[in-house]
Amino acid sequence: MKIFPENVSTYGQEIDNLFWMTFGFVMVAFVISLFVLFYPLVKNHHSKVKKATYFTGESKKHFRWITIALVILAMSDFIILFAEHDTWERIENIPTGNDLHVGITGRQWNWIFTYPGPDGKINTADDVVIDEQNSELHIPVNKNVIFELRAKEVLHSLFIVNTRLKQDCIPGRMNTRWVNITKEGTYDISCAEICGVMHSKMRNFLVVESQEKFDQYVKTLYEKNAPATSSSNNR
Amino acid sequence: MNLIQQRLSVPVIKVPQGRLGMWILIAGELVIFGGLIACYLLSRLRYPEWAEQAAHTSTFFGALNTVVLLTSSFTIVKAHEAALKKELTKVTIYMSATIIGGLAFLVNKSIEYTNEIHHGFTFSSPQLQESGNYVGSLFWSFYYLMTGLHATHVVIGMIIMTVILIQARKGKNLHRVELAGIYWHMVDLIWIFLFPLLYIAK
Amino acid sequence: MSDTLHKKSFFRKYLFSTDHKVIGMQYTITGLFMAAVGGFLAYVFRYNLAYPGDHIPLFGELGAQQYNSFVTCHGMIMVFWVAMPILLAGFGNFLIPTMIGTDDMAFPILNMMSFWIFLLSTIVLLASFFVPGGAFGGGWTMYPPLSAGGYTNPNPDFFKAFFSGASLMILAVALEFVAMLMGGINFLVTTINKRTKGMTPFRIPLVVWFINIATIIFMFSVGPLVAGAVMLLFDITVGTGFYDPARGGDPVLFQHLFWFFGHPEVYVLLLPAVGAIGEILSVFSRKPLFAYKTIIYLALLSAILSVVVWAHHQFVAGIDPRMATFFSVGTIIISIPFAGIFLSYMATLWGGSIRFTVPMMWALGFIGTFLVGGLTGLFLGSNAFDIYAHDTYFVVAHFHYTLFPVVFFGFFAAFYFWFPKFVGKNLNPALGKIHFWCTTVFFNGTFFLLFFNGLGGQHRRINDFSLFSNVVKEPYITFEKIATISAICLILSQFIFLYNFVTSAVRGKKAVKNPWDANTIEWVADSPPPHGNFNPYPEVFRGPYDYSLPGEESDFIPQNVPHTNENIPVLKVKLSVS
Ligand SMILES: [Cu+2]
Ligand SMILES: [Cu+2]
Repeated sequence: MKIFPENVSTYGQEIDNLFWMTFGFVMVAFVISLFVLFYPLVKNHHSKVKKATYFTGESKKHFRWITIALVILAMSDFIILFAEHDTWERIENIPTGNDLHVGITGRQWNWIFTYPGPDGKINTADDVVIDEQNSELHIPVNKNVIFELRAKEVLHSLFIVNTRLKQDCIPGRMNTRWVNITKEGTYDISCAEICGVMHSKMRNFLVVESQEKFDQYVKTLYEKNAPATSSSNNR
Repeated sequence: MNLIQQRLSVPVIKVPQGRLGMWILIAGELVIFGGLIACYLLSRLRYPEWAEQAAHTSTFFGALNTVVLLTSSFTIVKAHEAALKKELTKVTIYMSATIIGGLAFLVNKSIEYTNEIHHGFTFSSPQLQESGNYVGSLFWSFYYLMTGLHATHVVIGMIIMTVILIQARKGKNLHRVELAGIYWHMVDLIWIFLFPLLYIAK
Repeated sequence: MSDTLHKKSFFRKYLFSTDHKVIGMQYTITGLFMAAVGGFLAYVFRYNLAYPGDHIPLFGELGAQQYNSFVTCHGMIMVFWVAMPILLAGFGNFLIPTMIGTDDMAFPILNMMSFWIFLLSTIVLLASFFVPGGAFGGGWTMYPPLSAGGYTNPNPDFFKAFFSGASLMILAVALEFVAMLMGGINFLVTTINKRTKGMTPFRIPLVVWFINIATIIFMFSVGPLVAGAVMLLFDITVGTGFYDPARGGDPVLFQHLFWFFGHPEVYVLLLPAVGAIGEILSVFSRKPLFAYKTIIYLALLSAILSVVVWAHHQFVAGIDPRMATFFSVGTIIISIPFAGIFLSYMATLWGGSIRFTVPMMWALGFIGTFLVGGLTGLFLGSNAFDIYAHDTYFVVAHFHYTLFPVVFFGFFAAFYFWFPKFVGKNLNPALGKIHFWCTTVFFNGTFFLLFFNGLGGQHRRINDFSLFSNVVKEPYITFEKIATISAICLILSQFIFLYNFVTSAVRGKKAVKNPWDANTIEWVADSPPPHGNFNPYPEVFRGPYDYSLPGEESDFIPQNVPHTNENIPVLKVKLSVS
């Protein structure tokens, strides 16, 4: 059995690795703790030890074992922290190159996708907006894609399991996140923040395809939307 | 009851019970107002345009109310002093003066509210919202929430003082005069924070 | 509660009583009743998760809106109407006066009012199930704009908006806070002022210390949320826009206010339970609690730290990345004092003479299960992994592994330990052990596999996963079923407890004064303690943990026994007098 679902993003593996590293520390701590807990229960049962040894543990000498354990714990804590910091920075820092921007807006209850119009810029009048249930967001494979995340009325949270990406969408604000997906295919986009009755029906698709197919897809979109372009979904 | 009192051998009392409880209550209250003031300050820093709304608050009435509250704090201190000396008439006079101070505060406040409502500034200010000034209406929401919560405390303080006054007039529970005083000082203190934030900073 | 001195009517004695023991009992019983309500809700939606769309026995069909309300109310009830009344108010009322050696709380009438306001809040919450639209279903965190109806109506009709699930729930929570604040004032004043002669600060038993630290944390973190809740209430009922982004408000502000309280709240619940566990471990190891003073300092340290870690609940809300790093460091640092407390507890066992009584088993079970909860917290503390795990079943399993031990293992340990004292009857230990093993096994059965569901990408608060291909497959479906069946068994096992409770209270053997040979002074009072608790008031001469002192014949010396060279004869005399 696989613990994690298939990862398709460039940084997803780092998140999985982070889990396994923490898991190593946690297992060691768990096994030691269980030993410390169960050893005296077996060894010091009152049928074997009639009178307990009196010590209060107030002196530094008595407390030293716990001090040592706490120092080790603090050290492993900071190792985890340093390890995760790089990953965090990588996910948080949005690439500044000339990458594709797409808008993703949560509403009750589907995701709205906004592609830049023929002028290549997002948040302009010629943007193409797709606002329907079960619609697909097409993006090219192996390219940085920047998501501009917004929400219409209530909080939503963009969650694409296979990329390990999750980010809240907040009305009145724009959060940006990026992905670079290395495998073509269709993936679920779900909402991870409760947003009302049909929260569980909030599911759209992420279609990752080659650059050529993507260009083709965008071209058909432009043709379909040419006469009436809807305005941007800024609220 | 007496039996229990007798059995209470040597209690380790450091601070009189009522005073201690009052201080803890005040600490809790201050955190509530602190949270509210922090929210207000954050929004204030975000919206410099609140200054034009704050210009509509009446500094005159605010200052007058500050004076009224400070005076009533002074009289309750006098009442406490009198209570320590068991001078019942003085206690009655000074406590009544404090209650009247609270009343004056509320009268002032209602005149102020009436003026503001007259100008269309209410809790949710529909007039401002219709003209598209949503941020401005948020200022008034904060204004009414903060002053309203404070005024509620003034009312509660007046009720407490009336109850204590009725007892103290007959020389009963004189130590409670001090508790009323501590509470009233808190009401005063909160106003000292609200006054500059809502009336002076423009 | 036999009281020969004060003949009072039934109403004065059991309903409008000012006696701390009766009030503690009222809080505990109300809490247990609400636990039954919360448990039933859990049964309904867990059943729905394993068998989506099926007819649920004892309930019927569960719609999406109802599912959301049930999940929300389950969380709300378990935290604010089960954990708070039982652990803070219940423990506080029973233990503080008896363990510091006094007759009652400092302000008995305030104490009574505290309970009645709490009861009112309970009624308001339960009433919210019956208003049009049903109970609130936007998650127990009540995040606006969803809780404010998405601000679709800027001019709401006050009465219609007031009698809605969301506003009633906020009102109920606000009332509950008022009740707990009143109780809290009582706890602090009583502990500071009403200690018996000789009860110096470092002779106060750990649990009393911890209840008071919890009270302080509660009082100093709840204020901003009270303000925030009032603002939300006005947003719903009057049409203000404190959290409406379209009107200059900020929905994230509420998240900050909520979690500024929400994280410390975990410690408010944790500390009383951990304190009680400490007492029990010490008694049944026949050893002083390891590093009693250091534990108190560590608890104070984590109390201070607990108010600077709140934003770890908002790592994916788009807060400033540098802030996120700060809160990540804080979160991981706060694990250190708590690890210190738990290691000290384990050290208490070393070199002891351990007795496996029922309360001891619950205490050990607490440490074992809480260990899993605490360690899985390390995964979530690192913000990069939290991006993935946030709002998945990994988080659900994690916080059930922390809160279930705290609330239920903590309560049951204390219940089996102090029942003989406060009810005056002995419980059936065999039933207690069966109850313990059933609860432990089925608890782990319910939540352990959910860790894997969470890692598999199953997100929370979804009544029907049929749309999500990565979750609707084996083994996750089987795991859901195992979890549901275990949850049902877990609920059924509690009937053992109920049976034991009722039959022992009615027909149980009369308990002796000090059945566990414990040191703290509540065991000096009669079982059950009469009105006024002690006669005469004990004088305290020593710390609470003088077990197995070298050179003494008896392996325990109660706190009211003076130090003397010829301890043993004096001990006999004193014990028979008190
Ligand atoms: Cu959503
Ligand atoms: Cu937290």
